[in-house]
Amino acid sequence: MTDGKPAHNPSLAWREIDGSVVIISPADSMVHELNSTAGFIWKHTDGKRAAEEIASLLTAEFDVSAESALLDTLELLAVLEENGLVMFSPVMEGMRNG
Amino acid sequence: MQLPISIGHVQLTLHFRGGGLFDKADKRYAEFRQPRAEGLPVFLEPPGATGLASSQFSFALDGATLHLDSAAARFRGGRHEYALDSLIRILLSVMLLPRHGFLLHAASVVRDGCAHIFTGRSGAGKSTIASLSPPGSVLTDEISLLRCHRSGWHAHGTPFWGEFRAAGLNRRFPVAGIYVLVQASENHVEPLSPREGLRAILPNVLFFSSNKPMTEELLRVMAEAAETIPFYRLHFRRDSSFWRIIAA
Repeated sequence: MTDGKPAHNPSLAWREIDGSVVIISPADSMVHELNSTAGFIWKHTDGKRAAEEIASLLTAEFDVSAESALLDTLELLAVLEENGLVMFSPVMEGMRNG
Repeated sequence: MQLPISIGHVQLTLHFRGGGLFDKADKRYAEFRQPRAEGLPVFLEPPGATGLASSQFSFALDGATLHLDSAAARFRGGRHEYALDSLIRILLSVMLLPRHGFLLHAASVVRDGCAHIFTGRSGAGKSTIASLSPPGSVLTDEISLLRCHRSGWHAHGTPFWGEFRAAGLNRRFPVAGIYVLVQASENHVEPLSPREGLRAILPNVLFFSSNKPMTEELLRVMAEAAETIPFYRLHFRRDSSFWRIIAA
């Protein structure tokens, strides 16, 4: 489910260390590490931007096409959501239906 | 009965209700005993004792509990010295974070006035390294205490030794490096980036909180350590010859 605007799971602790984003889930002490591209997406995942907006920032920062950036962003967000690191704010029904 | 101790410059005053546990603790923490009771009061209480409405941190272990607030810590239901020792480690892991410190599953050995920290999973060779080092040079063979002081990162001696031996030096030495142990047929030392070093030691850090602000504090302290202390992977033979490549 990647509709809506993605946001960090608020229970997580994270920090950028030596160019990587390190995330710790305090509940189970799981440690996750993101490379520079994934870290970039993570840092712009703020509950205010949609995946398309994050992908657009990715295109501006890295040498990737808009299409590839969007695919990478959606793919990463899906993995982060699957692992409980990211949550999507629900899309208002009225907005979804136009 | 009270027993003032200081471990890693963290002062605690243990308050006992009975003499049996006091005698054992007095012997075990003899090197860490302080002349004055100036540290955080730690009350050892029987199971089911009441009197603390809320605590900043609490932890349960084998029927014993630790409750900590800004004025005191309370150990409840700890029946023997092993429980006391475990709860002191947990308490220190919490109290060290705002003091820029942490506990690490590692042996610390002093050579030429500097501490070398050897870490790894159980069976990686921490005790072997300690046993291959000259008497009097080992700060601990099990749990190292690292703190960042104004003059940089230091390793402090701890009373936390394998097989519950009463040993340890209550001294501190500047940290020369942290070595992630790998047993091998040849000695070889490989520098690690801060990120690789952090990844290697995080699983070996003693940390017991599921609280987000404390976990953020841990990450902050670990980032400081990773970006300041040199990290290496040490492939070593089970003899003292590894010192030749470390000293080089």
